[in-house]
Amino acid sequence: MRKTSPSLTPNVRRRFLAGLGASVGLLASRHARAADAPLRLGLTPVFLINDLQLLSQLKSYLTRACGRPVELVMRRTYQEITALLVSQRLDAAWICGFPYVQYEDRLRLLAVPVWRRQTLYQSYLIVPAGRRAEGPLDLKGDLHAFSDPDSNSGCLVTRALLAEQGTTAERFFRKTIFTYGHRNVIRAVAAGLTQSGSVDGYVLEVIREAEPTLAGEVRVLWRSEWLGFPPIAAPREPLSPERSDLLGDALLAMHDDPEGRQVLATLRLDGFASRPGSLYEPIAAKVALVERRA
Amino acid sequence: MRRFRPPITVTVPMLVAGLMVVVGLVVSERVMSRLVESQERNLAQLSEAYLDGLSASIQPHMMRGDIWEVFDALDRSRDLYQGLQPIETVAVDGNGLVIAASDPRLMPSRAPLPEDFRARLPDGAFAIDPDAGRAYLRRPLDYHGTPVGALHAVVDIGYLLQERRDVVTTLIVTNAALTIALAAIGYLAVRRMVQPTRVLTEHLTSGATGRAEPIPEAKMPAPGSEAHRLYAAYNALVLAERERESLSRSLAEEERLASLGRLTAGMAHEINNPLGGLFNALATLKRHGSSRSVRETTLDLLERGLVGIRDVVAAALESYRPKHAERPFGPNDLEDIRVLVGPEVRRRRLALDWSNGLRESIALSSAPLRQAVLNLLLNACAATPEGGRLAVSAVGDGRAISIEIADGGSGLSAEAAKVLTTAKAGLAPSAEGGLGLWMVRSALDELGGEVALARSCFGGTLVRLSFAVALEAERVDAVA
Repeated sequence: MRKTSPSLTPNVRRRFLAGLGASVGLLASRHARAADAPLRLGLTPVFLINDLQLLSQLKSYLTRACGRPVELVMRRTYQEITALLVSQRLDAAWICGFPYVQYEDRLRLLAVPVWRRQTLYQSYLIVPAGRRAEGPLDLKGDLHAFSDPDSNSGCLVTRALLAEQGTTAERFFRKTIFTYGHRNVIRAVAAGLTQSGSVDGYVLEVIREAEPTLAGEVRVLWRSEWLGFPPIAAPREPLSPERSDLLGDALLAMHDDPEGRQVLATLRLDGFASRPGSLYEPIAAKVALVERRA
Repeated sequence: MRRFRPPITVTVPMLVAGLMVVVGLVVSERVMSRLVESQERNLAQLSEAYLDGLSASIQPHMMRGDIWEVFDALDRSRDLYQGLQPIETVAVDGNGLVIAASDPRLMPSRAPLPEDFRARLPDGAFAIDPDAGRAYLRRPLDYHGTPVGALHAVVDIGYLLQERRDVVTTLIVTNAALTIALAAIGYLAVRRMVQPTRVLTEHLTSGATGRAEPIPEAKMPAPGSEAHRLYAAYNALVLAERERESLSRSLAEEERLASLGRLTAGMAHEINNPLGGLFNALATLKRHGSSRSVRETTLDLLERGLVGIRDVVAAALESYRPKHAERPFGPNDLEDIRVLVGPEVRRRRLALDWSNGLRESIALSSAPLRQAVLNLLLNACAATPEGGRLAVSAVGDGRAISIEIADGGSGLSAEAAKVLTTAKAGLAPSAEGGLGLWMVRSALDELGGEVALARSCFGGTLVRLSFAVALEAERVDAVA
């Protein structure tokens, strides 16, 4: 089981990933890729990576929009995708706001999804539908499900909330587990495996439409403030900036294309927009808060 | 008390049904035990496959104590093994704490395995509880020989039990239908088989109580069959019986005519004797009819002679009276017999002691009784040596009579005595001389009389005939 331990704070991981990325980058520079090699877009388990039809549509649209083959790269954890991205093994990746602020100096924003006409979303604390609890403090002693250690909505927001209360997840909860997927958090809470969970609000709202039975088994106990939506980022100093821009442009133009709109409809998104890095300052503040408490 | 014996048409179908029930039970028991064996073997194999697959996927996660991954594997396996229908699957670590269960609400993670659940777990790998409709599986997990925990599963075997119930129902319905069908076939077959016997039995039964009738041609089965031969043999028997009966009647009639012939000869003699006297009287009248005293004496002689002739003729006529003129036996009938036998008595110069103590008529047909007494008396005459003595003594009233005939002969032969004393004489005997006694016996049977034999006071035979009739009032009482 993976668990966030005090010995592995975000800063430590950041240094580890930076070192890893530098090594891989050197390796990559020695084997410069051919210009016509497929564009590589990384996808985190933010959402719906198990929807093969969606992936096929996305790949089809991007390939056509970019005018060259696109490869969708998926890994089980955020950490793996982030490592590939900062090590320039990916031309772009759909990551979370938390990894973005961690590697802000080495990443640049390509596009931010627009959901319900804004580039913001919330983190939810959820409990089983029948559970009697009124606020986050009622969850003390729970077996709690996080999504991913590097997820903003699925981990960081709850940790920051507890830090504000002067405690940590390890002290507040009886035990925490990572399910490596927001949908899995919902499943864990719905099945009663855990008594509560931290989940991406956007994911839960979409699942309400796609899987109402599953979503009906949980109840939102607490909503965070609005935070920057998980962005699509590229290495700040890529081996080939044009490759990243191709992907960024294709995403920004998605809502103008019928096939792109089909992908957006499945994702329940309005489109993609350019936003400054300042969108993620509230998340950076939470990281700082948690690090101080740790 | 006589035990009730059901007819063969019932016993054979019952026997068939009984055998079918026994066969059905044996076959059902075998089928069910094989089914149970087969189901349990299949279930055990399926369970092994289920646990094998599950173990492989959760073992790495169990080693790490990864609650989510273990749960995820258990949760997904529910859909993967639809054929097995697991109800509850639990992964337990080496300390007996639940890592994850397919239903975490019942068995929360990191809690000890509930005691009632632990109690149901088998000592071996597999156990079935048919009452609960559950099977319990257990698979210890180890990594390179080091135990890392165990996997427990509760499987719903309700569908297997339902299958068993369905098979039992099918067996019962099928066996019952077969039993009823075979019993019905048995009934029809036996009924068909015993039909000829039944017809024969009916004819034999009616033959025993009345006249045996041949089986009509319409009822005869197809020629060549067993039943046809049986019927033909029966009909031949009936016809032979009828011929013998007819012959017996002819013989009896002949005997009656023969005895009548002998009587007639005696009667002719009896009439002839006074005739000479009568003619003499007529001659006397012709010559001396003018004398009043002679005339009166002669007419008196004529009258007495004619009265004697008239009595003889009347007695003969009465003995040959047609059947339809039947009347009760009375004192006069006995007197007629005396007249009829008179010539024979005189011919043999016998002394006849006659005692007619009958006071009134008795409701017995006179013809057979007259014939019986006459035959016995003629036999007594024949048996008594010439110049010997014999006696007839009769007493009685309207209810009962007793007639004794005693002779001075040498006694009845054993054969003759048997003919006389054996009830239901049957057909006429072929031996000569027995016919008269056989007719006596037939009369006794017909009139319900009894006969007793004894030694007479003359050293010969004493035959006593006894008859009794119930008066009308007594018959009513008897019926009541």
